[in-house]
Amino acid sequence: MDARILLVEDDPSIREITAIGLRGAGFTVITAADGREGLARFGADKPDLVLLDVMLPGLDGLEVAREIRRDSMVPIVMLTARGDTLDVVVGLESGADDYVRKPFELPELVARVRAALRRGRGGPADAARLRLGPLGIDVAGRTVSRDGAPIPLTRTEFDILVELARRPGQVFTREVLLERVWGYGFLGDSRLVDVAVGRLRAKVEREPASPTLIVTIRGVGYRAGD
Amino acid sequence: MGNRRAPGIRARIAIMVVALVAATAIVLGISAVAFVDGSLRDQLRATSLRQANYDLGVLIPAALPNDIDRVSLTASGLLETFRLRGDVETIVDFGDGDPMVSSFDLVGVLAGFPPELRQIVDRGQIGYAWTSVAGRPSLVLAGRPGAGEPAFYFVHDASDVDSALAQLRIGLLAGTVVLIGVALATARTVARGILLPVVAASRAAGQIADGQLDARVIVTSSDEFGGWAAEFNRMAGTLEATIDRLRFTEGRNRRFVADVAHELRTPLTGLVAEASLLRGELGTLPADVRRAAELLVADVARLRSLVEDLLEVSRFDASAEQLETESVDLGRRLQALVAARLPAATLALPVEPVTIQTDPRRVDRIVGNLLDNARVHAPGAAVSVSLARDPDAVRVAVVDRGPGVGAAAVSGPDDPGMDLERLFDRFAKADPARPGGSGLGLAIARAHAELLGGSLRATAEPDGGLRFELRLPVTESLREGDEPVMDDRDRETRSEPTRSPRP
Repeated sequence: MDARILLVEDDPSIREITAIGLRGAGFTVITAADGREGLARFGADKPDLVLLDVMLPGLDGLEVAREIRRDSMVPIVMLTARGDTLDVVVGLESGADDYVRKPFELPELVARVRAALRRGRGGPADAARLRLGPLGIDVAGRTVSRDGAPIPLTRTEFDILVELARRPGQVFTREVLLERVWGYGFLGDSRLVDVAVGRLRAKVEREPASPTLIVTIRGVGYRAGD
Repeated sequence: MGNRRAPGIRARIAIMVVALVAATAIVLGISAVAFVDGSLRDQLRATSLRQANYDLGVLIPAALPNDIDRVSLTASGLLETFRLRGDVETIVDFGDGDPMVSSFDLVGVLAGFPPELRQIVDRGQIGYAWTSVAGRPSLVLAGRPGAGEPAFYFVHDASDVDSALAQLRIGLLAGTVVLIGVALATARTVARGILLPVVAASRAAGQIADGQLDARVIVTSSDEFGGWAAEFNRMAGTLEATIDRLRFTEGRNRRFVADVAHELRTPLTGLVAEASLLRGELGTLPADVRRAAELLVADVARLRSLVEDLLEVSRFDASAEQLETESVDLGRRLQALVAARLPAATLALPVEPVTIQTDPRRVDRIVGNLLDNARVHAPGAAVSVSLARDPDAVRVAVVDRGPGVGAAAVSGPDDPGMDLERLFDRFAKADPARPGGSGLGLAIARAHAELLGGSLRATAEPDGGLRFELRLPVTESLREGDEPVMDDRDRETRSEPTRSPRP
């Protein structure tokens, strides 16, 4: 696997050992020590995935994520401090696909990075093209359009949409979505699903406040509407 | 509470004052009546005696120089004269059992006079007696004008004395009643005035007890109570200052712990990542270096759990915790937790799925910490996890067949459950000789349980070992169909705990 990973982390020791671990797993690693350098390297090197520390001097990780999301759907994995609940939700809302809590073990980090890179490649192509209301979904081409106009989705958002659209009417629990989309076991963080669904709705629903395409089944999960 | 005691003291003071006043009035009244009674009777007796002496010694011998008999007495009109002169009736005893009387009321009265009176008269002296004549209190004086003469009994009406005394008694009684009333009112007012500072102080003490440390007593007087109130205020001030200082110190200490833990986290993150890399390469190291590397990896793991637990405790201390509840299938959650943390443990689940509204991340922490505790403190022992549902709560029990808490940690055989509460203290170790764990895991688990509205308790198993039981309140979202399907934001606000309608 020769994917290129941009690692933005201000602590030199953590940056170095993380880079060693990622290179050992076969990735190409580009490092940056603060938010501005991270954005500069992102523009210059076009990485396949961004590993972003939340607490950065100057421009913090959340602002960097928002800046990247302006025109890129690249997977972003946040490095957050454990238990800072607000950090997790705000980080996800600013565009991250997943997060890893500090302190982390390298195999755990590598597994999250691989899962994030795997996303968006589609599963077994039982249907190359799907429809959900006004949306046309090209599973193989990884594009979504409404009335012919393409809608840019991150790989995570795309995978959620495909999972739901493949079985319209079936209710998916958060746990099932966590496993199918993120590759987590049962103990994953269900807020990942809720925030990602919120972002997906903001893009595909005509009125995100009263969604019709992706419906919440309270106390259970989500299903595709029609 | 303090207010209830004040009327008691007031009443006691009032009763004492009134009793004193009443006793004084009664003693004075009785003395006054006795004195007036005596002096009125003395006066009447003296006047009557002078009269009798004059009548017997001068008037009668002058009017009747010869023998005194009925005819001459009647003719002289003396009895009529006596009667007109003063309010005096006369009985003349001729010794023949047929006395002459000045009024029909006096017929037959003579026999009722005390016999001593007759004896005195027979000795030739003048005697007197207080007696009742024809139903009226009277003074009777008796004597003879000369030896062998008939005996004259002068009957004076003494009812004026009695009526005067009766009036005096009524007056004294009325005066006493008025006096007692005045004394009662005065005593109550005075008592209330005296006790006012006590009531104020007890109110202030109550406010301080309720946490209002700046409550004070207003000093209004410079007497003993004023000095006492000033001392009370000084005490309250010292107390407030001490508590403020302790709170400040405690807050500073907690912030220090939080800061230390935060500062430790950055190097710890490096350590954990480095150790994880090292662990994968242990086999390639020379034997003695490898042992050092193994110990390093294990110690990094311990340091990690300690720092993370410290950070978690600091967040509780800063009240920075917030609940994020959702519908949680506890059975599946427990299955996943046991598989991840202690696969050797046995798990007993009810047939029906148990789903409640709660914060799954906190449930993970509680049960995870209980499993870690069992693994560390009862190594190798059988551990069983069970889930049961009551009408109003679900119970998760983690039971180990380990040694339990050491004998030293248990106060007595009668109440082994008591000291088990100490397990939930921070840095409590059942057996100080046994290493492992941060010493914070159970304290953290209990804090999470309480935040979820539940409880976490430990009990000793009869055959050794410990049983930890987590109780969580049963809350459910409303049934599908009762409400329109909500989007995410609505879901958040509607996930507040709802009491189960099930019995």
